[in-house]
Amino acid sequence: MHFWQDVLFGNRMITLMAAMVLVLQITMVTQRWLVTSIRAFAVQSFLLACIANTIAYYNNAPHIYAAALFMLVVKAILLPVIFERLVSKIEIRQEIEPLINAPITVIITGLLTLLAYVVAESLHRPDEPMGPASLGHNTLAVAIALFLIGFFMMVNRRKALTQVLALLSLENGIFLAAISLTYGMPMIVEIGIFFDVLVAGMVLAILVYRIRETFDSTDVSRLSRLKG
Amino acid sequence: MVLFVLLSIPLLACGLALAAPTRQWMEAIHLASAAGTFIAALWLAGEVLRQGTVSQGNGFFYADDLSALAALLTAFVYLVCAPYAVGYLHRDESLGFLAADGDQAAILRKLRMFYSLMPLFAFCMYLVVVANNLGVMWVAIESTTLASIFLVTFYGRPTSLEAAWKYAMIGGVGLSMALFGTVLAYYSAHQVLGSESVSALNWSVLALQAAHFDKTVMRLAFILILLGFGTKAGLAPMHTWKPDAYCEAPVPVAALMSTAVLNCAIYGLARFYVLTGRCLGPGFASNLLILFGLLSVGIAVPFIMLQRSSRRMLAYSSIEHGGIMVLGLGFGGVFGVLGMLLHMTYHTATKPLLFLSVGNIQQHTGNDALRRGAGGLVHVLPVSAPMFLLGALAVTGTPPFSMFQSEFMVIRAGFGGEHMGVSIVFVICLVAIFCGFFHHVTQLVLGPPSGAPREKIILWKRYPVIGLAIVVIVMGFWLPAPLYQLIDGAAHILAVQP
Repeated sequence: MHFWQDVLFGNRMITLMAAMVLVLQITMVTQRWLVTSIRAFAVQSFLLACIANTIAYYNNAPHIYAAALFMLVVKAILLPVIFERLVSKIEIRQEIEPLINAPITVIITGLLTLLAYVVAESLHRPDEPMGPASLGHNTLAVAIALFLIGFFMMVNRRKALTQVLALLSLENGIFLAAISLTYGMPMIVEIGIFFDVLVAGMVLAILVYRIRETFDSTDVSRLSRLKG
Repeated sequence: MVLFVLLSIPLLACGLALAAPTRQWMEAIHLASAAGTFIAALWLAGEVLRQGTVSQGNGFFYADDLSALAALLTAFVYLVCAPYAVGYLHRDESLGFLAADGDQAAILRKLRMFYSLMPLFAFCMYLVVVANNLGVMWVAIESTTLASIFLVTFYGRPTSLEAAWKYAMIGGVGLSMALFGTVLAYYSAHQVLGSESVSALNWSVLALQAAHFDKTVMRLAFILILLGFGTKAGLAPMHTWKPDAYCEAPVPVAALMSTAVLNCAIYGLARFYVLTGRCLGPGFASNLLILFGLLSVGIAVPFIMLQRSSRRMLAYSSIEHGGIMVLGLGFGGVFGVLGMLLHMTYHTATKPLLFLSVGNIQQHTGNDALRRGAGGLVHVLPVSAPMFLLGALAVTGTPPFSMFQSEFMVIRAGFGGEHMGVSIVFVICLVAIFCGFFHHVTQLVLGPPSGAPREKIILWKRYPVIGLAIVVIVMGFWLPAPLYQLIDGAAHILAVQP
């Protein structure tokens, strides 16, 4: 038996990649360059596709391979390309000062990660034996952390495009939760979700472009005329 | 068969509108699509009444009384809005809203966008109610947002971009919570049903097994689902996108959003409510629903009383009515659930009347201001203004209009279910909203003639309003027996036995 056929090895790889996913999420929260944020998002999506691929390999599950493929095509390639082209088109490279400064942001993300571990603990089933079926269950905490940090990023950032990235990375958290808990949703749902994500990404990109054209800025705090 | 017909008509209409050579063709396709889906929805209701449930495509599509009711209500609003939209867009064109310099090609482009997105929007709403798989239902609800974003930005004003941005972002975050909730619900069912089965997220399967689900996970799932679909339904405090989107979108779209989309969101919530109720007992879900319902009704009070724009006032009224439906569901029992479904039906008939007549008023006077208007609109718009008054009477639950019955039923469920304090606050809020509405509406509609020119009559815009008014009046006294049978059947699905 080769060492990569050992489930324990797979489990370690998944844990390693999940940790890197979390680090990338924190990078995105503190990062001020738009292009770097987009690339961090692309790499994060790529790692998630790898995690899905690993789980698919040990469980011999074709529908998880499909989910990994969708992830790779839609979120690691198509959407980042669309966003990078958008950035070069609207010529905005740098994020304006976020509402909360970087050190406090990092502390808050730390606290959110802690909270995620507490929540995940309550869903944990300790009596499960180690095997292909329980592979990736330990990444639930990372998934919830991605979700919570994505939320925080949405309220903390004022650039329209960064908010879109926050929304998509929050959805990455849901993807991780879905593959780590239940090995993905049923195939048809998976297709639907990725189709929705792709359409949403394109629709939002068009909207960002039009906001930029109309307001001469993508600072969403200027969108404040409707009240009451 | 019937489900495929219901879904394929609007999809076909969307494709045809994209290919249509002239404006007349687009309008004809649009009207045919609305009429066709209404007939298909009636057909579906008939099938459901005869057979109990209709299931097609290997159980992928599934319709019971609740689905048939929701589909019928959506089709009804679509049917009313379709002819109105034709007249509305003609008037918009003559006012120069579609293209600044009367550029024919630009106007045709805008119309093509409208007439292709409207059927797509309707298709997504039909898919919500006939999808058996709860994951597919989520996808469809998310698609209703995506299909309607460019309808909200239709006029391309800076404010409409702002409204669309809020709509997309708040809706997106909310629905991602709902997706997480769906994943967790799947997880909690996972141990019972196993992951290999394709049908493991099908409602018809889940509903039978719900008692054995993992309780901790289901609790978390329901909270996320409530926040998610609550955002889509515009429950307080996630309602902030609603007034903006409703006052920026074209009136027919706003009318669809305030009734049909609201119904779809409540429908999704109700499906999960049944699962949660069967898994955890009715108490847990009920308390959360009552909390959000009361908050929504309460938050509408000050905003309606101090409102300056009639479209925004209607949006807050939608938030209030969404709240009443959720309260009805939360109170539970026979009266609560039946009251909620009746309220959904009556609200779907009444709210478009208000939106369409406000649309007529707004296109005539050029603004939707409540206070700045000189009043006396009844002399200027002899049909639309009285219909607005009539709709306002109906929507605030004045007898003899039908919403009085359903609101009374919900209140009855509240007092009967030992929610004394909540029910008292609820009644006070309803009275306050009534006062607020009437303060504004009478000021706008009644009064001496202001000397403004009379309304230019466009039949496309007038007949839908009159037709709706007749429906609203008749419904106050008579509900067709098959429709009641459908509502009663849906109530049996939603009633969770303690």
